[in-house]
Amino acid sequence: MSATSAPAADERDLRVTLRDLVLVRLGVAINLVIGQIVAALLLPVYLDSVGTILVASLVGPRAAIVAGLTSQVLNAVLSGNFSWLPFALVQVVIALYAAAAARLGLFRRLATAVPAGVGMGFVAASCSAPISYFLFGGVTAGGVTVVTTVLRALGAPLGVAVAAASYSTDLLDKAIACALVSLLLRSLPRTLAARFPALAR
Amino acid sequence: MIGYVPGHSPLHRAHPYTTLALAGALLLGAFAATRPVEVWALVGAAAVFAAAGGALRASARPALLLSLPIWVLLFVLHGLLGAEPRMVVGPVSLSVPGIARALVLGGRITAIVLGFLTALATVSPHRLVEAMTAGGVPFGRTFLLASTLTILPRMRERAARILEAQQCRGLRLGGSVVARLRALGPLTLPLVLGALAEVDEQVLALDARGAGSAARRTALDPPPDSASQRALRRVLLVLVVAAYAWKFWRMRG
Repeated sequence: MSATSAPAADERDLRVTLRDLVLVRLGVAINLVIGQIVAALLLPVYLDSVGTILVASLVGPRAAIVAGLTSQVLNAVLSGNFSWLPFALVQVVIALYAAAAARLGLFRRLATAVPAGVGMGFVAASCSAPISYFLFGGVTAGGVTVVTTVLRALGAPLGVAVAAASYSTDLLDKAIACALVSLLLRSLPRTLAARFPALAR
Repeated sequence: MIGYVPGHSPLHRAHPYTTLALAGALLLGAFAATRPVEVWALVGAAAVFAAAGGALRASARPALLLSLPIWVLLFVLHGLLGAEPRMVVGPVSLSVPGIARALVLGGRITAIVLGFLTALATVSPHRLVEAMTAGGVPFGRTFLLASTLTILPRMRERAARILEAQQCRGLRLGGSVVARLRALGPLTLPLVLGALAEVDEQVLALDARGAGSAARRTALDPPPDSASQRALRRVLLVLVVAAYAWKFWRMRG
């Protein structure tokens, strides 16, 4: 190897690291800001993992995990609701699942992105329901708790009510989030898409 | 108000890691506690923590406002809809184990929220970044925490502008759920694609400032740390481990 090619490679590695960092920051900002759009549209979903899924598709699992965890911490800092910190585990699971789905090319078409989102919702709810039940008794001050309370009032045992509420909301939320990411990736101009090698895999 | 409140209390003067360790110990302790008396002792500890930081007023009000909806839901879900046996209080029939559980869960959330709001009110972001830099934390982590907070208002403003622009072009925000879902694309795509197009520009700007350098940075004004504070942080760690050991030992018994 020539003497000049080694620094060039180092520089390229460095650029990739900084680029990942900027993309992670963007992913976190999307996670935190998209709620504003969802609130304006009065949609019964959160979509607070769109940024994590996008980073998983554009960069990879490690960056997506960092984006997910940072979003959870900053969300707690901005809202003051620090009791939601244990749900950071769900963001890690979403990041890993999204990276695997992107690797399989499931976000290339809406027809595969929506079922991938349903699968993601199933996995996410399987993590969030036990956290909600064991640590918070099913009360997390979101729309999910209203569903839990209605189901409990209808006679469902608490564990069943918490699980049913988590699965119903997460399946819908993640299916829409994955569809949105698929739409975003397909709308990327060719010149912009070429800057993300992970998309070509 | 949620955020840093300047002051000269012992918590303001303490090393940021010490204050955060105290808040973290409250969080972990709250999840280890299973009896109302234990949890409410932690709520008391959180109140003492807030008073020591001179932030009782600044933290207690938002903590109560944040905890109140949770208390209401806990009362309905566990107090009213909880298991037998029940007791009658006036016109209301309450679940005895449900009320005990609601007291544990509500107290847990109140202690956590009060503890972290106090940390937020007494830890200056600038001192935290300096402490992290002095501690050798990689630039990437400090950059992520500090710079994301600065770009958020810009992104929020941009989202609001896109919302207004699309409405001017005839986008309707109301209607059926399907119609509102369809509106997600025209609102989200310009926001995200615009931000993605700026990524390379931001990378160049950061690179030009030496952000990619692997060299250890020198903190200009690192907060002083002392042996007693380091010892306190170690004691907190031991206490948390002991609390979980006690919890699991009791569960086995």
